[in-house]
Amino acid sequence: MVEYERSQSRAGADSAGPRICIVGVGGAGSNVLDRITLDRIVEATLVCAHTDVRVLGHSMAPVKVQLGADLMKGIGAGGDPDLGREAALFSRDQIREAVHGHDIIFISAGLGGGTGSGAAPVIAEIAKNTGALVLVVATMPFSFEGRRRLAQAEEALELLQKRADALVLFENNRMGELILPKDGIQKAFSQADQLIAQSLRAVSTLTTTPGLVKLGLDDLTSALANANGRCLFGFGEARGQNRGVEALKKALKSPLIDQGRLLHQAKNLLVHVAGGESLTLVEVEGVMKQLGRHVPDQTHILFGLGVDGKLGDAVAVTLISSLGLNQLNAHASAAPPSEMFQPRAEAPAPVPAPAPAPKRETSSRRNTAAAHAAPAPAPVAPPAPDLLFKAEEIASIPAAAAPAFNGKHTEEYEEVEPQHEEFIEAEQPPEFLHDEPVFEEEHEPVTPPVIEPTPETARIPVRTPAAKELADAARAKESSTLASVVARSVTLQTEHAPQEDMLTFDPPAVPNAPVITAISATTVITRKTSGNEQQTFSLGEEDRGRFKDTEPSIVQGEDLDVPTWMRLKKKLRR
Amino acid sequence: MARSTIYAGLEIGTHKICVVVGEAKRDGAIKILGVGQAPSRGVRKGEIVDFEKVQTCVNDALVRAEDRSDVMIRNVFLGVTGAHIESLNNRGRHRLPDDQTEITEDDVEEAKEIARSVSIPQSNVFLHSVTRQYIVDGVEAVRQPIGREGRVLEADYHIIHGIRGRVQNAIRCVREIPLEVEDVVFNPVAAAQVVLTREAKMQGALMIDFGAGTCDYVLYEDGMITASGCVPLGGDHITNDVAMALQIPNGRAERLKVEEGSVLYEEVPEGEMLSIEDDTGLILGEVERAFLNEVMNLRTREILTQVRVRVEEHLGRLGAGVYLTGGVSLMKGVDAVAREVFGTKVTRAGSAPVSGITATFENPQYSAPIGLIRYAQILDSEKPFLSPLKRLGRRMQELLSSVTF
Repeated sequence: MVEYERSQSRAGADSAGPRICIVGVGGAGSNVLDRITLDRIVEATLVCAHTDVRVLGHSMAPVKVQLGADLMKGIGAGGDPDLGREAALFSRDQIREAVHGHDIIFISAGLGGGTGSGAAPVIAEIAKNTGALVLVVATMPFSFEGRRRLAQAEEALELLQKRADALVLFENNRMGELILPKDGIQKAFSQADQLIAQSLRAVSTLTTTPGLVKLGLDDLTSALANANGRCLFGFGEARGQNRGVEALKKALKSPLIDQGRLLHQAKNLLVHVAGGESLTLVEVEGVMKQLGRHVPDQTHILFGLGVDGKLGDAVAVTLISSLGLNQLNAHASAAPPSEMFQPRAEAPAPVPAPAPAPKRETSSRRNTAAAHAAPAPAPVAPPAPDLLFKAEEIASIPAAAAPAFNGKHTEEYEEVEPQHEEFIEAEQPPEFLHDEPVFEEEHEPVTPPVIEPTPETARIPVRTPAAKELADAARAKESSTLASVVARSVTLQTEHAPQEDMLTFDPPAVPNAPVITAISATTVITRKTSGNEQQTFSLGEEDRGRFKDTEPSIVQGEDLDVPTWMRLKKKLRR
Repeated sequence: MARSTIYAGLEIGTHKICVVVGEAKRDGAIKILGVGQAPSRGVRKGEIVDFEKVQTCVNDALVRAEDRSDVMIRNVFLGVTGAHIESLNNRGRHRLPDDQTEITEDDVEEAKEIARSVSIPQSNVFLHSVTRQYIVDGVEAVRQPIGREGRVLEADYHIIHGIRGRVQNAIRCVREIPLEVEDVVFNPVAAAQVVLTREAKMQGALMIDFGAGTCDYVLYEDGMITASGCVPLGGDHITNDVAMALQIPNGRAERLKVEEGSVLYEEVPEGEMLSIEDDTGLILGEVERAFLNEVMNLRTREILTQVRVRVEEHLGRLGAGVYLTGGVSLMKGVDAVAREVFGTKVTRAGSAPVSGITATFENPQYSAPIGLIRYAQILDSEKPFLSPLKRLGRRMQELLSSVTF
């Protein structure tokens, strides 16, 4: 009975298991591939697709596809998704050749750049047309990579969402939380790669290894089914005493889950526990009990259990779920940097229900039919009404691509191409137009001046003539060092309320006024975008005297290393 | 066992580095054998910034201490502090198995384990986890739960943790001297052992070790440590404020602060001037005494307010009030300011009397290093008894490890 079911749910009845292919697109994708190659964690065909020959040369993947060799001449897309898309369209035959004949195709890409954002949707579509199940593992850029990259990433994400059966999305911002502030950016990125590689392994093993309680791709897709959702992923492995609970703890520590806090809202949660021969029922029970504390009762838990000899005496726990953006936003404190962009991301249009849900039903059918060439147009066409893409996508591309695949009518395919591009170009400008008003609005709240009365400090000049003299001296003569120190202390306190400083700033007092205003303006913006985290931006280094080389001690926006009297005086000036 | 043990405590302070050698007798008395002290260089806000300078200074202090106490120092208890050190209280709850009613050692261990498994940032390391109390079926303040009847046992822990790298740096710095670090102790925890009496701890007391670089505090309630931490502000900040207000070098400002400074300015007659001299005795300038005092007052008040903010929720229960110790507690008028800030009784205190060269040691500057000796003694008395054979084994191990070093 069990045997029979297993053979049905997997593609083909052959004992070799499903053929997996992992395609790394762009720089980030190829990094992930390298990580996978190094760790040797998945048995799969690895395909690296990139526009840049140098990156391809360094890549460790056995199969390499140079995108748009004629068009790009081996140079990267330079952050332009249009170029990336075009390059991928040029090389679609090679891509098809590389991915053809697999049952599951993972596409890993870092969104935001040129090749990743541009080529990944095209590759996803080609992959889909080979009849395989397509899972996309994508990363959103760090917030410090800028607004434009984020916009490109969001755009690519929308395109991908319609083409992939399941989308696992990692936010680099969240992964940054895992890393010490001191650690280099190299480490930040490599940690991100590692997490993605782990997730790829987890997803592929949990869907392919024989299980006592089997989880299929259908379970995976339903765990990930969430309109415009972000993936919550946690993986932990432990051995020794108490290994089950330890593994769960590690899984919960994943930054994408936020110490298990984000699980409180998850509707579906996929849990997979795997262990060697020594795995006991008590351990599994312990894990599930422990997990029960983090998950509300109404959550649908998709439980899977596997025994894998390769794990030895280790126990691995995998948690996969997804949350809608709104729910994530509710956890604003968890990742302030990314929050800045979220409202805008939602603004363009209520994103339609993603393709995975309806396709799930067809997935098993399609798997068994993996060897067949072209799927019927019906499963490909997203049934959900798509406000922006409907006309182009449903009508032209898949319809055109299918025959292209079937009978190699490449001309037909090319005919579609310009249409596709045009459409994207037409879509882009409104995005950026939309961008600007938001940016403007950010300045707006800055303007109303808030003058705080500081009664406690107000008595100081009255009682100490010397302090007043000091302040007067500061205004009177610029040459005195004290004066400049005081002046600086007055103008350059960025922390408490930079906008006030900007407004009450007295240009004639300090000669290099415009420079300073410019700088403080940027500080306003950076602080706006990065939330509460970046508080240490201090320009008034000299104010801190002998403490200037030390870590600032910031309490409620004030740098306490700056002499108390200076800070009080600054407040008085306002 | 009439044997006594000799311990050495090392405090790498921002202002001074101090090595104290003490003898802990089996009856609990402590005798100070010798103290070595050297002015500190390369320490900022309680944390080491320049390894080499610090090592030279520690060496100086060490040689002096060895000289005076006639003891070769191999192992030290190292006092650490720094803004990165934080504390929290956590409670571990353990339900006894259904077929068992009496609490056993294993249950206590289990409850402790749960209490200690609190999530701290990955980069952090536990410095101390102190049992505050046990709670058996909701009955609080149980000291010894083993053997009691109960269903639910809770262990209440005070956990102090700091950033691993920074703690490691301090240890590495000392190891390179070379000295073996026996244990790392958060300074105020050590100081509280000699500054606060048992009664004060029972009544509730806040001890503030107002040092040059940092202001460390420990708060006791009902005899249990409840809060602890470090405000990275100290006497150096006062000096810096003075130096920048009067436009004089830091060294002069420091001397002015110690010799003339006070934090009381309201009673100072207006117009009373103070002359600032340089090293040769030439008069550099004059400053109004009230102004100097006010600059110092503002800063001192702010530092103490920062401490207050951190212990706000426990302030109502301080029967014994605030104990001020550390170098800055010698500053004139600091107790008056502390009284205004905390609104309770304020005591300036040094270490409780210990035998030995006492004259030095009631000075509040030495609370922390003497506290280290006391802490070491308490720690040892809690250690399980080792058989002589095992002790020999450990000795050999230590010897071997020191050879390979």
